[in-house]
Amino acid sequence: MMKEVNLIGFMCNWCCYAGADLAGVSRFQYPPNIRIIRVMCSGRVDPELILDTFLYGADGVFIGGCHLGDCHYLEGNFYAEKKVEMAKRLLKAAGVEPERLRVEWISASEGERFAEVIREFTEEIKELGPVKSEKEELEAACIAAADYRLRILATKERELLEEGNKYGEVFTRHEMDRLLEDMVQEDYESKRILLKLKKPMSVKEIASELNLKSNVVLRRILDLKRHELIGIHEIRANTPTYIANTREGFE
Amino acid sequence: METIRTGVYICHCGVNISATVDVKAVAAFAEGLPSVVIARDYLYMCSDPGQELIKSDIKDLGLNRVVVASCSPRMHEPTFRNACADAGLNPYCFEMANIREQCAWVHHKGATEKAKALVASAVAKAALLEPLERKKVSVVPRALVIGGGVTGIYAALEIADKGFETYLVEKDPSIGGHMAQLDKTFPTLDCSACILTPKMVEVARHKNIQLLTYSEVKEVNGYIGNYNVKIRKKPRYVDEVKCTGCGECANACRLHGIILNEFDVGLSKRAARYVPFPQAVPLLYTVDPDRCIYITKGKCGKSPACVDACPADAIDFDQKEEELEVEVGTIVVATGYDLLDPAKRPEYGYKYTEVLTGLEFERLSVASGPTGGKIIINGKEPKEVVFISCVGSRERKGITNYELRITNSNLDNQTSKMDGGARNEYCSRVCCMYIAKQAHLVRDKIPDARVRIIYNDMRAYGKGFEEFYNRVVAEGVEYIRKELEDEVEVIKRSEDDDKVVVRTISGGIELEADLVVLANALVPRKDADELAKILKITKSGDGFYLEAHPKLRPLDTFTDGIFIAGCCQSPKDIPDSVAQAVGAAIRASIPLMRGEVEVEPLVAIINENICVGCGTCEVSCPFDALSLEAGVMRVNEVVCKGCGSCGSACPSGAISMRHFKDEQIYAQIEAMCLQKL
Repeated sequence: MMKEVNLIGFMCNWCCYAGADLAGVSRFQYPPNIRIIRVMCSGRVDPELILDTFLYGADGVFIGGCHLGDCHYLEGNFYAEKKVEMAKRLLKAAGVEPERLRVEWISASEGERFAEVIREFTEEIKELGPVKSEKEELEAACIAAADYRLRILATKERELLEEGNKYGEVFTRHEMDRLLEDMVQEDYESKRILLKLKKPMSVKEIASELNLKSNVVLRRILDLKRHELIGIHEIRANTPTYIANTREGFE
Repeated sequence: METIRTGVYICHCGVNISATVDVKAVAAFAEGLPSVVIARDYLYMCSDPGQELIKSDIKDLGLNRVVVASCSPRMHEPTFRNACADAGLNPYCFEMANIREQCAWVHHKGATEKAKALVASAVAKAALLEPLERKKVSVVPRALVIGGGVTGIYAALEIADKGFETYLVEKDPSIGGHMAQLDKTFPTLDCSACILTPKMVEVARHKNIQLLTYSEVKEVNGYIGNYNVKIRKKPRYVDEVKCTGCGECANACRLHGIILNEFDVGLSKRAARYVPFPQAVPLLYTVDPDRCIYITKGKCGKSPACVDACPADAIDFDQKEEELEVEVGTIVVATGYDLLDPAKRPEYGYKYTEVLTGLEFERLSVASGPTGGKIIINGKEPKEVVFISCVGSRERKGITNYELRITNSNLDNQTSKMDGGARNEYCSRVCCMYIAKQAHLVRDKIPDARVRIIYNDMRAYGKGFEEFYNRVVAEGVEYIRKELEDEVEVIKRSEDDDKVVVRTISGGIELEADLVVLANALVPRKDADELAKILKITKSGDGFYLEAHPKLRPLDTFTDGIFIAGCCQSPKDIPDSVAQAVGAAIRASIPLMRGEVEVEPLVAIINENICVGCGTCEVSCPFDALSLEAGVMRVNEVVCKGCGSCGSACPSGAISMRHFKDEQIYAQIEAMCLQKL
């Protein structure tokens, strides 16, 4: 027997949530695995929220908004699209299948389609079964999503692709993909290291535990140190060990 | 800190919920949740005794949070919020679990467990809810009506009669809409123009109505009570004050009698300077900018003929497009419909001169029309007339046999063009009766004509309709029934034949005719999409505007302060359109009369201690509600619509959304994930 899965759906009040209501009024059946959280706009959802939902134990997350161009708030769903993309990259980095996150545009009149999409999504997630990644991997992705770099990028991606940055440089899709890829990888690795450094460890120890190259770990360590997120714990036989700074004083 | 005391109320909704959800079990489960003081179930929570239950518990048990698990919050959230407020509890300390639409009705199995998860989630969120105060804003005591057909006219008159200034915006040069084009109206046979034109004149004369014809709504900003509307007024190239409507300019125009007249659906010709019809309101000769020689070529003879001819010196080719900006409190949308282009369905033979649409027949039959009311086809009176019902209505999407045949034989690739409303599943509602009326008119004008109607079902649902149908049958009109799936086609035996043949695919019907009238479907206006985006209102699957509730809020949209009436919502006849117009006008007048409205306090708030003033959020706000002041972002609470995009953009986590705060949503997620299946 396939294992039961937990699905959480974030649906915008105006379209997808109303579409779900219409599915109900019209009695279109779908599996009960999905639990729906109402938000005013799909643009309310950010990568951190999505990753946190996985961390809480969801096996699939569904984001439902208005059709592109029909957003009740004009363009919230365009931002949602970018944020979902960002979340998918982070999921991939954390070893979670990106298909576990799905975004769909469903209008208030598409009750039948809503039921169909949810049936399909539930089946897909049932095939995948429960999330297999380690908690710490998801946690690292989650902290990376919460950090300012990826949040800014997820919001400004549209602007950078369409209007360009402050210097008028417009990014191509290809350039943007590379930038996102690098940044996600970098931030994810940094956060993994940060989480490991709850107890003191040397570069080599981290490298072997996270299966990363030592030079990459060293680069991330130096970055973290520069941001005063970690410090040197002690020097053992010419090898320094590092430890994360407690966040007291930051709050 | 206050101790949270939550009351949970599970609704049976008759058997709607209790048929699949074990309501008692959910209540027992809820009793065990943190902070829950009392959990009850009741047959109908929304009923008076149901609400009383909540109110007395708030008072007797000192509840400070209330959770109702019943239908969708889109249905009864306001009801229960009011009940809480009545008992002295802040209405925003209320949360709803949707266990009907999103649980009981959609799951045969597992509904009880899911209901528990939804209740747990609502209880968890409720504990973190904060009391909020609704802001009162004053209402601009003016209204806007979009669309100057019979619906818009009635809506505008109704609001104006209540004493409020009303702008009536019409896209065309004259108000009147489709109704002005009709001959007689079913089932009473009163003349359309006779009942409409006095109302058109009344609109023009009314001291509270500002009529803006040949104008379009371009932009709408704001919120209920305070909408800022930008209206584009197209130039007519005539001085509206000086023009007396004498028509000398049209007579003199070098294109006189050359341009197809849209008002007569192309059955007559007009000049580049024109009024759509003689009773037009306002009676101003407008220039067709796409055809006028002076405008398109920059030169028309030595000087434009119209300028020379005008005795009032009213012609002004220097006019420019104007943009008006008006402030209104409420908006009524009455933009009407389009008719299905019969060319999209070539099987009906619209290319033949013997085949007309219903509206073309109206222009042919009306006394003020191009033929003076004589029904003439190919220079003579038709003796055999066939009407075809449901052209493009009551059809399932998908390919028809006809299209299969033409694609198989590769005659031409017509199918690709056959989308976008060429087939509509809905019934257009007016065709059965207007066919009956038109059949009657044919018999009236050509007593020896044989009139036959090919129909699927007779829908005579309105007052006096069945009686009218019986009358028409008694007059000798022949009704020939066919099955809905049995497709009709109109062909010619030879190209120079002045008769067409109407036949069905099954071979059951084959009729010769001198005139065929197609009852083509009423479809959403082609600019319906554009206006929906401007107004931020939604459409249903058929493309018409969507009402907030099909039964209880048929004239409201999901955008507060914007109402819909008439055929823009779905096809309907004149009495229904007028009834809706008056209803929508009353709905739109309520905020104007009250003078103030309460707006939802669900807006973004900024923690100024955390905000670093980076401006990332500003990018994502489409309403310009955020602005940087002294290094920190500030929210204009009246402009903010509460979507939350800024909150999810903020890199430092300084923005939170009232009533949808991070911690409130996390509480929901946690509670839902704890309740495993």
